[in-house]
Amino acid sequence: MNRIATVMKIHAKDKLMWFIVPWFLVLLPAFLVNLLIGWIAQPENGLYTGGLASIFVCLLLIGISTLTKSFPFALGLSIRRMDFFLGTLIMVTAVCLGISVVLSALSFVEGDWGWGVGLHFFNLPYLSDGSFVEQWWTLFATAFHVTFLGFFIIAIFRRFGRTGLFFLFPVIFLAGSVLGFLCTYFGWWTDIFNWLSGHSAAQLASWLFVGAVIYVLLSFFMIRKATV
Amino acid sequence: MMNIVEVQGLTKTYGGVHAVDDVSFTMESGKIYGLLGRNGAGKTTIMHMLTAQMFPTSGKVHVFGETPYENNRVLSQVCFIKESQKYPDHFRVSDVLELCPVIFPNWDQQFADQLVNDFHLPRKRAIKKLSRGMLSSVGVIIGLASRAPLTMFDEPYLGLDAVARALFYDRLIEDYAEHPRTIVLSTHLIDEVSRILEHVIVIDSGKLILNKDADAIRGQAYSAIGHAEKVESFISGQETIDRKPFGSLLAATVLGSLDPESRKQAELLGLELTPVSLQQLIVHLTKQKSDRRAVDFR
Repeated sequence: MNRIATVMKIHAKDKLMWFIVPWFLVLLPAFLVNLLIGWIAQPENGLYTGGLASIFVCLLLIGISTLTKSFPFALGLSIRRMDFFLGTLIMVTAVCLGISVVLSALSFVEGDWGWGVGLHFFNLPYLSDGSFVEQWWTLFATAFHVTFLGFFIIAIFRRFGRTGLFFLFPVIFLAGSVLGFLCTYFGWWTDIFNWLSGHSAAQLASWLFVGAVIYVLLSFFMIRKATV
Repeated sequence: MMNIVEVQGLTKTYGGVHAVDDVSFTMESGKIYGLLGRNGAGKTTIMHMLTAQMFPTSGKVHVFGETPYENNRVLSQVCFIKESQKYPDHFRVSDVLELCPVIFPNWDQQFADQLVNDFHLPRKRAIKKLSRGMLSSVGVIIGLASRAPLTMFDEPYLGLDAVARALFYDRLIEDYAEHPRTIVLSTHLIDEVSRILEHVIVIDSGKLILNKDADAIRGQAYSAIGHAEKVESFISGQETIDRKPFGSLLAATVLGSLDPESRKQAELLGLELTPVSLQQLIVHLTKQKSDRRAVDFR
């Protein structure tokens, strides 16, 4: 337990990456720019923006960097792979919880008021539908998913090296092309879009969460065999 | 004495290259070991496998009687200071030192603080901005203050100046006397460490070529210096590993122990006998081996 806490401490020492960059260097500028645009342009139907996506891109990069720097450091200090993994899992969960709660609160504050200029930054149609818990779940599951997507990609690198990534991306690209072709050939696209639009954001987020759990499990098995 | 490290038939191959080739040895508790050999001989790889940071291709590794892989009972007793240790970008010296007490159960904060002062290490400086020598001293401080029952230093003094290196040896010896533990020094600066080594393991091209007590090795060869003719007559019939002529003099290094009779003979011939340094002997052993290999290839 001690060692898991140590791993979290290693992560927490990087306040810049976990806290300052996502909030103050990424999201805040995105928000301020949009607020300024809203204030200048005063659009009649309000200003809708996807600036919120920036913090999720940031989380993807955080997922990547946990495994590039902290992992070799921790392993070099006689920390088990398992302890590193659990410590990182708890840290990521805590950060995603924090981010999703704050974003939900900001979305609630924004509401229809739109910061006085009709700006829709945190409270977006579809994404912010449903109860407060559903809104929170959508944000949390997405955050958790993107962070572990980054972690998963680098876990492949840690386990299989450069060649691993070299093979992975062509395979994904090829599989995507084949799948896309099949969808067109059998006329599945309409069904897919119907399925997507038939679900709420929170329901889709649950699927994202399932994906994230798969990343976590696969990463775990790769980390168990990773060397420095 | 208890064996705290047991390695049997340890092999690590990359592609077709044997980085470590069928190495077997044991290490006892409370001794200072030298893991010596040329660059790329496989020393670091062996230590990586002892700490389960790398996996052996085949062979058995037991540390404190157990396999080290994912084993906190073993890993919490091991401190491996490697030259290539990575630190997170944003880490300062103080950040690393703060983590150590939790990781190493025997950590001595007072000793660590004293060492930080001795090595003039700036606590608040980012690790990334340290000079090579300062970076090495971070490792040296962690390795000493951790007081881990098995402490391994892999080329710990890269970039350290002579004063700092001497400081390291002094502190090591002092602290070792008060808190005996097993220490492994891996280095190619053999002359500097030879006086503190109790046991020597030499690895060459992945193979173990020597595993002996340091004293036994020192008695394995000696040098005879004197007039060339007299030296020649003295060493005739013995295995000579090195000869350095200067003027009419000759210094020859001979393999074998000195018996009282040859001592007397040397005295009669007016020859000076000196013990050979560990470094000379190991250079000879590793050179001899690669020469032989060169012959094989031809």
